[in-house]
Amino acid sequence: MVRRKVFSAFNYLVLVLLLAIMVFPLVWMFRVSLMSAGGSIDIGRIFNVDFTLANYRDLFLAHNMGRYLFNSLFVGLTVTVGNILFCFMVAYALARYKYLHNKLLFMTVIVVLMIPAHILIVPLYILMVKTGLYDSYWALILPWLVNPIGIFLVKQYIESIPSSMEEAARLDGAGELRILVRIVMPLCKPALAVLAIQVFFTNWNSFLFPYILTSSDDVRTLPVGLALYQGHQAIDWQHLMAGSGVAVLPILILFILMQRQIVSGITAGAVKQ
Amino acid sequence: MKPSRSTALALVLPWLLTLAVFWLFPLVISFVMGFTDFRLLVKDYQWVGLANYRALFSDQDFIKALKNTFIFVLGTIPVTTVLSLSMALLVSRRFKGRGVFRAAYFLPSITSMVVIALIFTNLYQRGGYVVLLAKLVGLTPPENGLLYDSSTALFSIMAMDVWMSVGYYMLIFLAGLKSIPEELYEAAEIHGAGAVRRLFSITLPLLKPVALFILVINSIKSFQVFVEIFVMTKGKFDTSTAVYFVYETGLTTGFKSGYASAAAYVLFVIIALFSAMWFLLLRRRQALW
Amino acid sequence: MKTTTFLVSTVLVFLGLNVSAATTIHWWQFWTDPNIKPTISAVVAEFEKANPDIEVKLTDLTWANGHEKIVISFASGTGPDVVELGSDWIAQFAANGHLVDISDEIAPDSGEFQGWGMATYQDKVYAKPWILGTRVLFANRDLLTRAGYNSDWVPIKTFELQMAARKINALGENVYGWGSNTAEKHRLYKKYLPFFWSYGAQIFTDDSKYCILSSEKAINALRLYKELHDSCGYVSNQRGIEDAFLDGKIGFIISGDWLLKRIELENRQINLVSTLIPGLNFPGKSFLGGEFLAVNEASRHKEAAMKLIDFITSPENQILFCKANRSANPSSIAAQSDPYFTSNDHLQTFIKQIRSANHPPVDPDWVYMEDAIERAVEDALFGSGLVAEPLRQARLKIDELKKK
Repeated sequence: MVRRKVFSAFNYLVLVLLLAIMVFPLVWMFRVSLMSAGGSIDIGRIFNVDFTLANYRDLFLAHNMGRYLFNSLFVGLTVTVGNILFCFMVAYALARYKYLHNKLLFMTVIVVLMIPAHILIVPLYILMVKTGLYDSYWALILPWLVNPIGIFLVKQYIESIPSSMEEAARLDGAGELRILVRIVMPLCKPALAVLAIQVFFTNWNSFLFPYILTSSDDVRTLPVGLALYQGHQAIDWQHLMAGSGVAVLPILILFILMQRQIVSGITAGAVKQ
Repeated sequence: MKPSRSTALALVLPWLLTLAVFWLFPLVISFVMGFTDFRLLVKDYQWVGLANYRALFSDQDFIKALKNTFIFVLGTIPVTTVLSLSMALLVSRRFKGRGVFRAAYFLPSITSMVVIALIFTNLYQRGGYVVLLAKLVGLTPPENGLLYDSSTALFSIMAMDVWMSVGYYMLIFLAGLKSIPEELYEAAEIHGAGAVRRLFSITLPLLKPVALFILVINSIKSFQVFVEIFVMTKGKFDTSTAVYFVYETGLTTGFKSGYASAAAYVLFVIIALFSAMWFLLLRRRQALW
Repeated sequence: MKTTTFLVSTVLVFLGLNVSAATTIHWWQFWTDPNIKPTISAVVAEFEKANPDIEVKLTDLTWANGHEKIVISFASGTGPDVVELGSDWIAQFAANGHLVDISDEIAPDSGEFQGWGMATYQDKVYAKPWILGTRVLFANRDLLTRAGYNSDWVPIKTFELQMAARKINALGENVYGWGSNTAEKHRLYKKYLPFFWSYGAQIFTDDSKYCILSSEKAINALRLYKELHDSCGYVSNQRGIEDAFLDGKIGFIISGDWLLKRIELENRQINLVSTLIPGLNFPGKSFLGGEFLAVNEASRHKEAAMKLIDFITSPENQILFCKANRSANPSSIAAQSDPYFTSNDHLQTFIKQIRSANHPPVDPDWVYMEDAIERAVEDALFGSGLVAEPLRQARLKIDELKKK
């Protein structure tokens, strides 16, 4: 018996209402990004016939946004790939070899997450300067290369996979590396996918650390670039909104592409159980 | 047979290194700072023991900040959780345009928080869209705008925070919903259980691990609310929060880093206890996924 | 990218080629808005041309978080050679030995610049004034005319301001007499202090020994400010007030030269009046602040740093910058007599106002005092509504501060 439910008009109404609420401020943002620069942005102007792509053009041709976008992508992808690799490695070691207690890992997760960034920023800054990593991609990548939440996530997942295949392979004489890469990793795809999304997503909009740990244009990331539109006594709304629109795009694309994966990422794990 | 000890060590090493160097080291330093009167630009400082901690408990600004933080957390977490779950239930079924709706609900979560805060500052202003809307539905918003009145400022920011986060948690709930086998629902239906019964007997219990994850993450995040306050009100009109206090005390005004560190660690203890509470309430003897 | 440059340089050095006998100095500055940055870059390029052995590396600071970045870098001994500082931050850095005492270097042409007071701490000069800032009274001529005033009338006394504001307020539902700032950090006190000083009040006694923030005069000034706020105030944040003013809804506001920039860039049609801030019996004292350039005590290229500062603050370059940013108050007196300023009535108001403006005490604890004053004003306007008591509380706070 297949259960079939009628998706009522009422449901659609609620959905659309929600849509309006969720999307309205962003629609406004998009609308402002199409207004000619330098003007006011009050309500009256919203409906004026004033549409231009000049702001977006400015972003890339005059304001170096292309570079910032590249930097954000580069740093984001590196951190994500790094996390996939290293979290996986640690998760496997912790899952298969009860070397460290669950508790210790959990404590680390907590401690790292629960301290306000502003307290860590000063020692971290000094560290970066003394090691010469200040104002480089390294400063933006290294501290975030292995996210404890990621380890936690993948570890739980691996624990739900029986170790029989690995043990068989080991008996056959296969090396550890081979076992890890060929056998276990493919099985962890769902968890790694979720990890990737989570990491990339958290990293994409981060502002404080990239701002403090870098100075030059070359390594500036998108959020810091956007902050420059907040001027002395006025905000360059049009360009700022255009920039935010651009900043949203990669994540949005990622989301659309991986929607299936994200949502079904856990299904695979559950079915296994 | 398990991987050899040396393999395990090799696997764990990169993590331990980055952890020790970039996190534990700053953590220890800042923890020690909490026992000194270190001020950023001042060259001399000295050990003061627990003086900072003692001063914090009679610091009206800190107490108010903590109070506001609790209001923020207790106000937003239930609302966000319930709303995101409802939205997940709504979009979990198959219908035309489902992907579009999901993406749209997710959109606020991926936009820069600073930009959203700026947009909302505009919307909440006197003459801004939200104020106009409120008037339209018969409410009487404060004349000076929602952010410039002690009775509405914090709540306005909380509302914005809920708006911003539901999409993200909806997604996580969605994933959790997907992992509940169809067969359970079918079996329940055969036995005559209605939609509500199915929700409370099957869905909610099986979502506990996901809910726990969301509650913990949300708590940690909400206790550290900062950006919104910084951009929108700078703590005025009773909106100062714990992390804003830490920021203001430590990095601006008097750069009292030692004092700020102590405050940060008090907050840390509170967050840890709060999260532990969630675990005790919702713990299940099974993996998180 | 950096790696490539490094590799190329290394190779060149090995080949015996002298890559750079250059001194590299770092300058951290705040004018990073893509509309202004080109001007700064151009000036820097000119400087490098004139001084081929000096290379300048610019770092952009955001107005929102720049101060923190500067503090963190100086605190860790890694600050830039030249740093742009707001007038209210100089004392913090100077008092802790982070800035170079440039009293000797600037002595020869000190008479050619205004604003030294804000950079002088304990009789030594620690920074050079660059672009100053003050506040003046703006009014809407059309509203004044509607309220029955002559086409060239401006308020001279605060009493006249009160009357005019009320008359404008009475013009209609959607018209207000006075733009009153809500509680905004680092902003509200700049609206109260002009009246405070115009009434003859002072924060400290002349010998700086006692805080007299809650003097009779101060209380009267706050009463005036509160009266304006209560009877005809349009309360919002700075931007909201400006928006409403430019839309013709407010009669009087206090603002800075950026308002002129807004009007120009947004093509606003408003019959603008600018005049000196009124005082008790004659025009009073406005608030004075500004952007300064200082040399890091830890810099290894102090001479080059000073050269850059002198170049940037030269009259020609100040005019260049002011034109690009529509700033009204260059610190160079020679620049002030440029036709760009003299031909514009509104800019002239600013230049006149600077000569009748006070700056807050140059004190490392000024930020605390500022906070105390702001809280007092907030309490009077949005909190308890009392006037004398909040000022007294603020005075007590400052007293405690000074005791330590």
